[in-house]
Amino acid sequence: MSKLEIIDLHVGIDGKEILKGVNLEMNTGEIHAIMGPNGTGKSTLSETIMGNPKYEVLQGQIKLDGQNILEMPVDERARAGLFLAMQYPAEIQGVTNAEFMRAAINARRAEDDQISVMAFLKKLDQRMAFLDMTEEMSERYLNEGFSGGEKKRNEILQLMMIEPKFAILDEIDSGLDIDALQVVSKGVNEMRGADFGSLIITHYQRLLNYIVPDYVHIMMGGKIVTTGDASLAKRLEDEGYVGIRDELGLDIKLTDDESK
Amino acid sequence: MKKTLAITPEQIASFSQLHQEPAWFAEMRQAAFAQIEQLELPIFEKINYKHWPVMAANAPTAVKSDLSLMPSAAANLSADQPYAVQIGQTTAKLNLPAELAEQGVIFTDIFTALQEHPDLVQQYYMQVTVKPNEDRLTAFHTALMNSGLFLYVPKNVVIKQPITAYYVQDSTQPVDFIHHVLVVAEQNSEFSYLENLQTAGDHKNLANVVVEVIAKDNSHVHFSAVDAFGKSVTTYLNRRGHLMRDARIDWALGSMNDGNIIGDFDSDLVGAGSHAETKVVAISTGKQIQGIDTRVTNIGPRSIGHILQHGVILEDATLTFNGIGHILKGAKGADAQQENRVLMLSRTARGDANPLLLIDENDVQAGHAASVGRVDEQQMYYLMSRGLSKEVAQRLVIRGFLGAVLSEIPDKNVRQQLTDTIERKLIDGQPVK
Repeated sequence: MSKLEIIDLHVGIDGKEILKGVNLEMNTGEIHAIMGPNGTGKSTLSETIMGNPKYEVLQGQIKLDGQNILEMPVDERARAGLFLAMQYPAEIQGVTNAEFMRAAINARRAEDDQISVMAFLKKLDQRMAFLDMTEEMSERYLNEGFSGGEKKRNEILQLMMIEPKFAILDEIDSGLDIDALQVVSKGVNEMRGADFGSLIITHYQRLLNYIVPDYVHIMMGGKIVTTGDASLAKRLEDEGYVGIRDELGLDIKLTDDESK
Repeated sequence: MKKTLAITPEQIASFSQLHQEPAWFAEMRQAAFAQIEQLELPIFEKINYKHWPVMAANAPTAVKSDLSLMPSAAANLSADQPYAVQIGQTTAKLNLPAELAEQGVIFTDIFTALQEHPDLVQQYYMQVTVKPNEDRLTAFHTALMNSGLFLYVPKNVVIKQPITAYYVQDSTQPVDFIHHVLVVAEQNSEFSYLENLQTAGDHKNLANVVVEVIAKDNSHVHFSAVDAFGKSVTTYLNRRGHLMRDARIDWALGSMNDGNIIGDFDSDLVGAGSHAETKVVAISTGKQIQGIDTRVTNIGPRSIGHILQHGVILEDATLTFNGIGHILKGAKGADAQQENRVLMLSRTARGDANPLLLIDENDVQAGHAASVGRVDEQQMYYLMSRGLSKEVAQRLVIRGFLGAVLSEIPDKNVRQQLTDTIERKLIDGQPVK
């Protein structure tokens, strides 16, 4: 079992503090969802865990199995077992999808134990079929000219090929139609198991109908303000963030708050 | 007008004498020398080399090079294949299998060719493809040529083994490398020729190389080159093909030099149905500038000229690709296609991809694609977020980008050699972390 701990995390970007003391602990075998209104720091949290150099950690720690990962560059964190399915995956000309995934798998293996082409292709074919992706997708340049839905599907394909310990899914549901949403969810559910944990970041409860979380955290004003089980997401759907905020007696201004 | 060269006609004449050149050849040098001052430097779009020392030549002298500068790869050449190793002006190795010599194949250094086959050389040398008075650099070349090779493949001769040449520019001493390669493919002949341009030493020198390929009716020349001149060399490199009826040249060129270079790669599709495929890969690193001007001119009806060039730029380097497709009036049914792409891997890299189509005939097919792309920090972050180190991520991007051209090169050995050279240049060129 692996453990990811976020302890009193404060993060800023361009001199502005976004995260104001996030605490979160998760183990493999668990699916956590973070929900929250716009501009509350959900993406900042996911990018900071992964190690995007644009974000500055002001205070706190992130530990993977007891080891502080804040000093590690992004590629080392990835090899240590973290994965981020990005909201806006980059497009890279000249590198085929297949070539990229093979390099990613091999980056985790010893020089003298690289995955064979046959074994790789077998795994790739199987995962692509599972995600209803056409074969030509593997030979296209990485995300280049992919539609929004194709990009998201491709993030899940990478997840299934790389098989990390912890996957952070940053608004994987944004811009997806219902069919694509079901495929993406199917992929994540397939990964579910004792050796896999996931942190799902979303605006909408809808995704959580397909990927049922063990824990739901509500984030507002750069902090996790409350935690519950899957029913918390349903409650949120009914009451909205304003309802939860007022119930908790929090003094936080919400960006999309229409009650003020 | 300021004199460009501190060289006298007498110095050139004595160099001619030293090599016992035929009178016509010595006269050609003198005539070209006399024209240097009047001729202009050639203009290449978006390649500014005005301040480069392309004319900073010394008086021509015979210089011996040390045989220890032999490239290590030259040790593996098989006695079954034709090969040549020239180090500066010194021909270190020359091999022509007997059965090819019996068929009339000529493969020898240029000065020997001038003595043993003067009529043949006279018919082609700077007569068909590049002309001495074309511009200042070609006149300069004609006047001062100091090394080279002659390859002649007679009618109907098909050579299976690849013909391999190593040309080592000797920068262990201050001496210009003014090199001429003359390749004549007679009717229905077919062969593969691979040349490797390299440098030993780090004296600041200039290289002026002209390669002529005359492909006669229905001949097929597979021409490959791995250009890897050193950092201290300023190069003008002109390769030009002249294609007659139904002739074909497949150019596979890797511009992996470390110094500043102008590469001018041209094909004149003179004959009906002639066909040139030009594939170029290039990597610029450090602070170097590589300007590559690739042209195909469709003159004959139904002639086909395709250009595919991909290049990668690291650090503060510059790479310019010009792709020129010119279809002349009368080239009915001609086909001119080109694709020029450059990819920049740093914020300080500079790149250009300029397609130029000039069409003077209506009944033709022509098309072009060009792009200048950049791998930015966000892209590197994305690749690295999957566990790739920065170096591997960069190399993946580069290999993939150049692979689109490499995979189009039919000869497996050439492909492998280019891949190895790319890898070496990347390892040398990537900043140490």
